[in-house]
Amino acid sequence: MMTEADYYALFEAYSHGELAGSARASLEARLAADPDFALRYADFNELTGTLRAYRQRQQTRAQLRGIHAAMLAAEAPAEAPVAEKTSPLTHSVNPMLRISRTERKLREFWNGHRATVGVAASVAVMAVFATLLGLDIWRSSKVQAPASIQWMRREINNLKQNQRAINRTIRRIDGTAVVPPINNGKFGGTGFALTSEGYLVTSYHVIKEADSLLVEGRDRQRYRAEPVYSDKAHDLAILRITDKRFTGFGRLPYTFKAGQADLGERVFTLGYPREDVVYGEGSLSARSGFEGDTAAYQISIPVNPGNSGGPLLDAQGNLIGVINARQNDLEGTSFATKSSYLVRLVDSLRNTQPATPYRLPKSNQLTGAARPQQLKKLQDYVFVVKVFEN
Amino acid sequence: MSRGNPTSSSLTPTDDALIAAIRSGDERALAHLYRLHWPMVSHFVLQNSGSEDDAQDVYQEGVMVFYEKVRDGSLELSCQIKTYLYAVCRRLWLKRLTSKSRFGVRLLDDEEHGPYLNTGAEEDVLAAEEQDRRFATMSEALNHLGEPCRSLLEGFYLHDKSMQDLTAEFGYTNADNAKNQKYKCLVRLKKLFFTHYKEEPI
Repeated sequence: MMTEADYYALFEAYSHGELAGSARASLEARLAADPDFALRYADFNELTGTLRAYRQRQQTRAQLRGIHAAMLAAEAPAEAPVAEKTSPLTHSVNPMLRISRTERKLREFWNGHRATVGVAASVAVMAVFATLLGLDIWRSSKVQAPASIQWMRREINNLKQNQRAINRTIRRIDGTAVVPPINNGKFGGTGFALTSEGYLVTSYHVIKEADSLLVEGRDRQRYRAEPVYSDKAHDLAILRITDKRFTGFGRLPYTFKAGQADLGERVFTLGYPREDVVYGEGSLSARSGFEGDTAAYQISIPVNPGNSGGPLLDAQGNLIGVINARQNDLEGTSFATKSSYLVRLVDSLRNTQPATPYRLPKSNQLTGAARPQQLKKLQDYVFVVKVFEN
Repeated sequence: MSRGNPTSSSLTPTDDALIAAIRSGDERALAHLYRLHWPMVSHFVLQNSGSEDDAQDVYQEGVMVFYEKVRDGSLELSCQIKTYLYAVCRRLWLKRLTSKSRFGVRLLDDEEHGPYLNTGAEEDVLAAEEQDRRFATMSEALNHLGEPCRSLLEGFYLHDKSMQDLTAEFGYTNADNAKNQKYKCLVRLKKLFFTHYKEEPI
């Protein structure tokens, strides 16, 4: 019985052509007849063939490596001539760029990481801008918070004006009556009577851009008025009614307090933050105004745009201030100019020989009355001030 | 040259001469061929996010495929050697890129190398890969064979030593003993090789 190794000896001898004629013939006959035997021979051939090819491959690889090394070595001293004088078999050769070793490294890096670098760069740029933007927003939100007040004059609703204009147009188309266009004014505030002869007080910021002024009382009576004096520093303005129809207010029910009011005093106001008169009540919470302004009180009355210029009275019906603003970021913090400044202002105006003398009211009719009675008397002397700009 | 007529797919006379020279075992011809097309392939690989070393690997693989086909005489070129090499290397590099990239790969091609499709490179590369796998299995089997079989077989088949040298080297009493030992080793190698090779279908 032959072992597999014996067969291999036989196969090797056969493939090298070393077998004698008879042995060779019997082997070939057996290969043809016995498929198992033929398979064994095929396996042997594949095995040795692979081994030989493997060797071939290793040799070729070494050879190519050698060629590459030789090529690089030839390139180093002089690249250009190599391509030209290699042999008569020359093809057109792609021009080889002469680049330094560092540059080559850089180029490799760039080629390998181009996309990554691009993405990273754009992310970085976006991050920088996002940070800057965020910082800016953060800073502005921080800065804006501590110090700002809002003047309590009212911007007349454009929508309402437009609606009225449309109504007027419709009426005109209907052919009923041609109504002259009514300009409702741009800003609104509150004002109150200073003397019975037709002087009024309001806040300076209400009338500062005015071209013409209209005051309107509770009974819808309108009067033309003009500013007489403005005190920007204390946000006060004195108006005079110029209308011919105007005959006088009659006796004013309140008096003007020349001194300071006390902390914690109950105070109230009437104003026109909307079309109707609105009552507001609170306490005198500080004897200085916005950022320590000693010319103003801080009061705890909730005020709204339109309240500016409204009278601030104490429980006895003394006028102690003129409402003008509120602080944006604090709740229930409103400000009113002290009446002492108003009185001083009127005193100084007396010396300028005015057309109509200033006679401040001397007697107070509100003292001791209940609040509703006080208001009934007071409301006839509080007006809407409408400001027109062209 | 066919520069002016890029659609030409015929072999130029120089290509023919080159192939003939390589087939006859002229090492200088192979070196010349190697040097001739290296710039093209290195440019291609560098352009497609490869390094100098990648280019060298790919190009040597490519030349190997070409060279082995020339030696076999099984090369059927329907285009210039240049185009064929470009197609083979392109295919090899694409394969490597896709294997290491998570994204889809798009290659930048040099227009001047013309129609690299239908050059037969695709099948040749596949065949070469199959061959690679066979060699890898063989190398694996040799490593598992153990001494002295491995050294004996490597000495005989890979390093081309004669049986007499091996007899002396391994201390066998005579060449016949050595031969018998070699056959036994071959049988073991065969078992290792075929079990491994057939276990791993493509």
